[in-house]
Amino acid sequence: MRTVEVIFVIVILLGAFVITTQFAVLPTPRQAFGTNLRELSLSTLETLDAKGVLSETVFKESSDPAWGNLQNAISASLPPNMVYNLSVYDLSTKSGGSVSYQLTNSISDSGFGADSDAASLLIASPNVTFAQDSQKVGENMGQNIPLYILNCDDANGWWITGYSPQTLAMDLYRLLSPYFSTTILVNSTSQFGQILDGNPLSGENVNYGVIINTCGESIPIPSDYAATYSADSYAQYCYVFGQKVNQYNWTYVSIVGYPLYYVTNTVEFENNDNTWGIHGMMRVGPSGFNAFLQGLDNEYQDPPPTDFNDNGITGSPGVVQFTSYAYDSSNYYGIYPFPYQTSTRALPERILDDYDLTIRSNDYVFNQVGQWIAGATFTHSRGGAFTSIGLTRIPDIRITGLAILMHFNPTIYNSEFGASGTSRLVTLQLSELGGT
Amino acid sequence: MAGATIDHMVSVTILIAAMLIAMTTFNGLFASAINYDRNRQVANKAVDIMNTICLSPGNPVDWGETNTPVLGFGLQDPETGGYNLSPYSIMRLRTSIDSELVEYPMMPGVFFNNLTGNFGNGILAPIGDCINYTDAAKLLGVDGSYGFSIDIKPTLDVTVSSISQNPLKLDVSVKGSGIPLSGATLDYCLFYTGNNGTFPMIVPYSGVAQTNASGSVELDFSVIKADYNDNTPAYSILIYANLGGITGVGYHTHRTTDMNKPYIIPLIYDYDEGEILIAHNWDGETPEVKYYATFYILTPDFKFQQLPISNSTEHLNYGKGFPFWKTQLPASEVGVLVISYKKSAQEIGSIIMPWGGGVLGLHPSFSGGIAPSGYSFVATELRQVNINGISYQVKVSTWSLRG
Repeated sequence: MRTVEVIFVIVILLGAFVITTQFAVLPTPRQAFGTNLRELSLSTLETLDAKGVLSETVFKESSDPAWGNLQNAISASLPPNMVYNLSVYDLSTKSGGSVSYQLTNSISDSGFGADSDAASLLIASPNVTFAQDSQKVGENMGQNIPLYILNCDDANGWWITGYSPQTLAMDLYRLLSPYFSTTILVNSTSQFGQILDGNPLSGENVNYGVIINTCGESIPIPSDYAATYSADSYAQYCYVFGQKVNQYNWTYVSIVGYPLYYVTNTVEFENNDNTWGIHGMMRVGPSGFNAFLQGLDNEYQDPPPTDFNDNGITGSPGVVQFTSYAYDSSNYYGIYPFPYQTSTRALPERILDDYDLTIRSNDYVFNQVGQWIAGATFTHSRGGAFTSIGLTRIPDIRITGLAILMHFNPTIYNSEFGASGTSRLVTLQLSELGGT
Repeated sequence: MAGATIDHMVSVTILIAAMLIAMTTFNGLFASAINYDRNRQVANKAVDIMNTICLSPGNPVDWGETNTPVLGFGLQDPETGGYNLSPYSIMRLRTSIDSELVEYPMMPGVFFNNLTGNFGNGILAPIGDCINYTDAAKLLGVDGSYGFSIDIKPTLDVTVSSISQNPLKLDVSVKGSGIPLSGATLDYCLFYTGNNGTFPMIVPYSGVAQTNASGSVELDFSVIKADYNDNTPAYSILIYANLGGITGVGYHTHRTTDMNKPYIIPLIYDYDEGEILIAHNWDGETPEVKYYATFYILTPDFKFQQLPISNSTEHLNYGKGFPFWKTQLPASEVGVLVISYKKSAQEIGSIIMPWGGGVLGLHPSFSGGIAPSGYSFVATELRQVNINGISYQVKVSTWSLRG
């Protein structure tokens, strides 16, 4: 009788064991400790798509050779004991708003065992077009800031070797006009004189305007200004111009070299040359920029002074590099000049104190080298600013464009066209061969 | 009565036997479960460490580009994110154990980490600027509890071998996971050491090729020949192989002198400023070596853009004179410093130093010299990453130090 009872106990013990093992199911060693296939799969998809190759391939016909390359690439990047299945699904939105997934292509190298894992990546077609709409300069301050590009047909350029002011003007127009609500090509020195007198050319408000001088180291001079402000080899005109920049809160932009080193007017200076054989131009020398800074600093005298400091102030720091903000802006605005440039006409830091100027951190195009500032926008405390790109010739006007955009910092709004039906879901399923 | 006693004894014996068997079985079951749990913790820690390494740039985020103290460990490239590792942070890993450190005789007491493919063609960084294994373990929060090792290996194996030196012909083979990679596009640049003047020159030859069905291709530089004394040319070549979104890199250097003893060795002097010492190898045999050095920035499409550097053309002396010259690289640009040197008309060579992990396809292994032998369970975790556009696999091995 007791034997029977014991047998009952054994049955109970066995039953408990069986029930316990039924419920206490341990994961397989591979599930518990194997490589995290999901993350490996995701990292594989992301790295394959890093250069856009995956995006290009999954939208191609299954007969395209790119699929073979992709298959080779996946096989080469996964460990030899791993098998995969890559499936691509086309996403389409039905009328009710529901999204359907339709298998368009699949590649794999073997069958799968019991344990596998997968990750997916949503990919947009490289053919999807994006549009960019930029905020207009001054819009956020409620101002309509005009962009003036000096395109004077009666002015010559210096240190713009290989270009003419007019070709540079057109390039600048294409580059910068999307960022300004009003872009005006100033086609003659007399039109330039009109602006200097504070008169609009096409109804714009001249205040806060940006003036880009495409003539390099020379600045156009209107005939009446040449007649009135000729003292000290026309340094007096540069002084008056500095006053105007201050008075109208302009931002004057020098694209290359020593600013205001010459004045140009092909009619007025028909028989003069800049000492280097270029006619229609007169050498002002270093006193031109010194006078400009004095005028900008509003050391107002009427009549203006007639004698100016003729000491050169620029230096040659050599190779200069973009600031980190310039790198960021380069990416943001999609303008990619070479980030290393040679500077031989950099301005000294001391002019900040001498003429009450400041440079915001966002306004440095190049890292300062010692005391030398190779490219930056200098803002005067009482109004007006100037951008000086003190690089050696030949000018890269993309740097000028970048400097202006860095100064005004307009926002770019991206919008997408034709995105519907242009996305595909890519799943990569991985499994390890051998064992369980 | 006797029958009842026997019945009792038999039943008790069977009961005890059954209970023992049951206890043993349950004990085994519980032991397995506990082991599973412990090992699972190690496996989770491996995932945790891998995620921290690959998906976090550390603190400060640009620690790889400076020599500031590291407050948080991570290798992700802060500029690109995702599974992209910083080419600069890789350079700051102290991958060498003590016996592998390099001490330059002219700077006694200063040791350099040796992240090198073959000697000279690599990165020799002062260990003071490198982060060591113990510090990394502390920053990862596993010091004393878990051991780990990080192995960063190029996905593709690009090998270059010489077929002929006169005229120069090279064989390039591309493999991935042991499989030959056919149809891979190769962007290559060969830096030839010109030997006509007093100082050597660097003449770059670049081109594009494609691997055949067996994953190899022959590059023919018919214009590069031995000189009239039958001296073979000196050069360094870098090759970038691309296929279907993955990229690998291979390199090869040839000197007319001892391949294991370049006359010139570039050493990183100031990591933060990108200052490099172009140093005489101090072999005690070579009185004077002339060199020409230049830096080539590696563009995103694997082309090289030359950037002049200071002290690019100088001579180095053993004994009296100049044992080294200092130059400066753009610290935030990935590229290669190429140096051609010349002892005599017959003894010329070339050496390349990458600035940025990944450029030369180096294979850093960060384990502090500790191997997981003797531990019952080691969890491994594998991910694909890019380092400056080059495809790599990161393998993290983790084990519990608590037994």
